[in-house]
Amino acid sequence: MKRFHLLAAVVVFVLSLLLPLVVETGYALQILFRIYLFAALGLAWNLVGGYAGQLSLGHAAYFGAGAYGLALFSGKLGVSPWLAALMGVVVALACALLIGGVSFRLRGPYFVLATIAFAEVVRLIAKNLPNVTGGDVGAQVPALFHGNVNRAFYWAAVMLTALAFATTVAISRARFGYYLMAIREDEDTALSVGIGAARTKLVALLVSAALTALAGALYASLFLYIVPDQVLSIDVSNEIAIVAMLGGAGTVLGPIVGSVVLESASELFKDIFKEAHLLIYGVLLVVVVLFLPEGIIGTLAAFLRRRALFGGIKAGAKGVAAD
Amino acid sequence: MDLYAALQAVINGLLTGALYALVGMGLALIFGVMRIVNFAHGAFMMLGMYATYVLFTRTQISPYLLFIVSGIVLFAIGYAIYFALLRPIHGKSDFMQILLTLGIGLICTDGVLLVFGADYHQINIPLLGKNLHLGSHISVNAPWVVSFGIAVVLAFALYLFVMRTMIGRAARAIAQNRYAAPLMGINVFRVQAICFALGIAAAGIAGGLLLPVFYIYPQVGDQFTLKAFVMVVLGGMESIVGAALAGLVLGVVESLTSLYWGNEWALAVDFVIFLLVLSLKPSGIFGRQRA
Repeated sequence: MKRFHLLAAVVVFVLSLLLPLVVETGYALQILFRIYLFAALGLAWNLVGGYAGQLSLGHAAYFGAGAYGLALFSGKLGVSPWLAALMGVVVALACALLIGGVSFRLRGPYFVLATIAFAEVVRLIAKNLPNVTGGDVGAQVPALFHGNVNRAFYWAAVMLTALAFATTVAISRARFGYYLMAIREDEDTALSVGIGAARTKLVALLVSAALTALAGALYASLFLYIVPDQVLSIDVSNEIAIVAMLGGAGTVLGPIVGSVVLESASELFKDIFKEAHLLIYGVLLVVVVLFLPEGIIGTLAAFLRRRALFGGIKAGAKGVAAD
Repeated sequence: MDLYAALQAVINGLLTGALYALVGMGLALIFGVMRIVNFAHGAFMMLGMYATYVLFTRTQISPYLLFIVSGIVLFAIGYAIYFALLRPIHGKSDFMQILLTLGIGLICTDGVLLVFGADYHQINIPLLGKNLHLGSHISVNAPWVVSFGIAVVLAFALYLFVMRTMIGRAARAIAQNRYAAPLMGINVFRVQAICFALGIAAAGIAGGLLLPVFYIYPQVGDQFTLKAFVMVVLGGMESIVGAALAGLVLGVVESLTSLYWGNEWALAVDFVIFLLVLSLKPSGIFGRQRA
């Protein structure tokens, strides 16, 4: 069974890489890029929001750190683009240390509010320091790829998703992953059995922030130009969380499924709702909370478990009848 | 001269702060009785603005009377939303409640965007041109004085409602212990519905009162959601008096920040105060120790 899962993952990965041979229009590739990018972001968020159960609504800070890191280190200091992207990751890690250090001491709604406030402070600083960040006018972002960029960015997003997926699988099976889940289920009990909750959560946040920053750099480099209200907006934080919650927080496949559903839905409804495109996010959020509280994958898994159980009982009854 | 500028800023801050106070009290009331952080609070305030705007353009009645109508409309919306959406998830985790109200807020904001478009709207009333002079150096814009007066009266009324009426007592009982309250014969759902609707109506009324001095657009409420969070955290989460005081403080802090550092830093200062309070004194400045 495990071998089958691995095989399926490899097949999907290879097919994803081969997809540009069939899909050639730039527009379609950009939509696919978005789907994979948000799958990676959802997976990254899921480590903190899903496995550790800490609902962060401030991931735009790390996303923006990656985007602005690439733009500013390369644009202002002349560092080569790929190195600048890595330096953006370092900035995101520093943000995560600060944000995690303060907000992980808080629980429930206080934690959520603190993450939002931090991301907003970062956005306002980026807006109000035009000498450093370009302010509302924005900043130019160097190209990470040349030539057939749509294809290259698509591949990069697939690779990033694969990296985030592999990280998630590894963590979900490791002792570290069980620590995170223990903290999610009951933080006090986790503490009492000797799990260093603060440190464990912080490590998860660092991994999550690094992946998020890489996605931010990719996103920025595709658009070549960023402004604070775009990459640091609370809408980015919300979208990342919605992707993971819709698919199923705390599941390995959830964020990928969530991204496919959410990004396809927003693409489908784009012409109907025009600028009111967040309407579909709102509707999906309400639907998920009321009808699919464990997300698409979580609900599906529960359904399959029930059916397996029920099927087992029926098979048992048949066996009894045959006797 | 500099002193007058500061004094002027403090007065302007208090005038704005009274409206903030109304928004914050609504959020604190909802949090106290329901333990829900209402992420749609600013969106409801925005609905109050648009309701007043639509009524004003149709009837030309002063917004300082129309706010009553928009308050009633928002109360009805809140009551309906409570029973349709919030009651079914009663007792679910914080996450679910936060995500649900976030979703409701997005639907409100983008619903209005769909109907009214992204354009900025503004109304014009004769009162806007009038200024009241206090001495030779200080003057205040008349609409702000009127809205301040109304907001203070309403805030006091809300306080009396919570402290003196039977429903207010029931609400405080639920806030103290939501398991013991129903044993005392309190209909928790009904009281929660009324408090949720009242909290939203308070936000909507503040929106209506702000209409004459504000541009309105669908996302106008977003900043108020965040400001209301700051107020309730400063005020000690469920304390409506704390939230009201915090609203006044926030108004003055923003006004002084605008004066000395520039308008663009006002919101950032809000959040920095917020984070400092959260990390240093999470029970709030005006609040008692939380259990």
